Amino acid sequence: MRGLLDSLLSLAVAIAVGAVVAYISGYNPLLVYYSMFVVPFTDVVYVTSALATATPIILTGLTFALGLKAGLFNIGAEGQTYMGALGAVIASYLAASALALPLSFVIGISLAVAWAMAPALLKAYRGVNEVVSTIMMNWIAYWLVIMEASTTFSNPMQPSETIKMPPSARLTPLMPGTSLTAGFFVAVAAAPLVYWLLERSVIGYELTAAGLNPVAARIAGIPQSRVVIYSFLLGGVTSGVAGVLQVAAMPPSYSLATNLANVYGLGFDGITAAMLGRGNPLGILLAALFLGLMEEGARHMQALAMTPFEFVKMLQGIMILVIAVRMLELWRRR
Amino acid sequence: MLLTQTIHAAIPILLAAVGEILAERSGVVNIGLEGLMLIGAFVGVLVGDVAGSGLIGVAAAWAVGLLLGLLHGAIAVYIRGDQLVAGVAMNLFGAGLVAYGIQAVWHVAGYRQTPSWALVDVNAMTVLAFAVAGAMWYILSRTRLGVAIRASGEDPEAAYSVGIDVFKIRLFSTAVGASLASFGGAYLSLAYLSVVTKDISAGRGFIALADVVFANWNPLLAIAGALIFGFFDALSYWLQIFGVARYEVTRMLPYIATLLVVAGVIGRAKPPRALGKPFRKE
Repeated sequence: MRGLLDSLLSLAVAIAVGAVVAYISGYNPLLVYYSMFVVPFTDVVYVTSALATATPIILTGLTFALGLKAGLFNIGAEGQTYMGALGAVIASYLAASALALPLSFVIGISLAVAWAMAPALLKAYRGVNEVVSTIMMNWIAYWLVIMEASTTFSNPMQPSETIKMPPSARLTPLMPGTSLTAGFFVAVAAAPLVYWLLERSVIGYELTAAGLNPVAARIAGIPQSRVVIYSFLLGGVTSGVAGVLQVAAMPPSYSLATNLANVYGLGFDGITAAMLGRGNPLGILLAALFLGLMEEGARHMQALAMTPFEFVKMLQGIMILVIAVRMLELWRRR
Repeated sequence: MLLTQTIHAAIPILLAAVGEILAERSGVVNIGLEGLMLIGAFVGVLVGDVAGSGLIGVAAAWAVGLLLGLLHGAIAVYIRGDQLVAGVAMNLFGAGLVAYGIQAVWHVAGYRQTPSWALVDVNAMTVLAFAVAGAMWYILSRTRLGVAIRASGEDPEAAYSVGIDVFKIRLFSTAVGASLASFGGAYLSLAYLSVVTKDISAGRGFIALADVVFANWNPLLAIAGALIFGFFDALSYWLQIFGVARYEVTRMLPYIATLLVVAGVIGRAKPPRALGKPFRKE
């Protein structure tokens, strides 16, 4: 309850500061917020688009939450999502049938987990700070996936994107004319699953114990290395799925843009969602849905109020700043 | 040539790392360097353009960094908020603000050439950056103020009991530290790259964090670290120019090098003992 109130407070502060910024830069704040928060509800196409936007954010938010629970600051979801998307593209290259879909998940998740394992192993065995290593892995993934997308897997018909998923392997819209696919339900189901994993399973117990007190956990027979590896491994899985869905469940293109437009920034949106949701998987689900709404709204804001899309990112930064201020009694004790 | 480029590429990392060393020596972590650098790059060009002077642009970037540093310091020191979360927030805010600002001010998407009247001499800035690193080393290791800063980061209770105002020391160390990151950003946009883009910092804020660990919280060693990272940055452009490898491959180099360097030096690094822990009067 306290968490929800804090999130609402942070939203209020962000809206107030944002109104000033919008006004100074010559935009009408009322029109900005009307198009951001009201317009998305006026059409079923917009609502479903907001849900589709929220889909990957739920999954990358869970990645961050899985790290946080173990006391780790895993900001590598961004790069792991790129790798997941690359996996889906590779699968489309290898298989021209419906088989490409399961293959996407296999390759995409494997690549994302591999990407998560590098910082995990460096942390577990060399003590390398995960904040630095995950960001470095993000940048390496960024250039690697751009290179692969624009060479081996480029689409000769459309140079700005990769080859497409085979039609029979695509997750298509549930309602014609919208962009919402079954991928949304995969993400929604992942949240309670991770919740169960963290709160009820042995792995979750070990992560939580290590997150609360690593020394005590080690004495109790829970080595830090195992905790780091499990937490990053599971995080890699959810981010990998996010990346796969951004290709396999992304009408109308069903491909990866060579400038990574359909995966760029999703990992950081997940961090925002995880903080708004206080690291609780169910809270993250709600927060991601809200962020999906904001970003869908930002598209209308761009069209109606002529305000740059990134305005919404600035609002989110301010919200998290307020959240940081309000975290007096840490939910992540160190 | 490669040597000059190495030095020029090292400067933004050096400035941010030296600033972070100051903040961390006092006991406050700021992982928002990336955002502060971005904001510095943007504010530098904006003010430099309007004022018709690059120096005023640099000064403005530095001042904005100082203000944001005061904010981070206040959150970390007085409100005892979560320092990592506040740092991430700074990065998100910086990324949003700069991408928004570039469009809102110049009505272009994510890319603005720095006008010639706002440029600053890159060599003068380079000399200044080395001077800052040297001065920071001197202050931290040879002055009473330095002792007070280090004591606040190692053992704030003891420092407080001998009359050091741990709160004020931490607040100002954080603010000055943050201002150097923004200063480094202004160097990027006004001197080194003469352009501002929405991701001009390109991970340098985080490479600076790696440099802090590499340098074992010593500003002079941070020069060595920054030069190593700068070398790979410069090398990546050289390999690209000579067509040795695709530019995507060469662009990965600085990040791979950072990972390897950090993995290699860890173990001997010893962070300040009270790092990241809020201080509370008994």
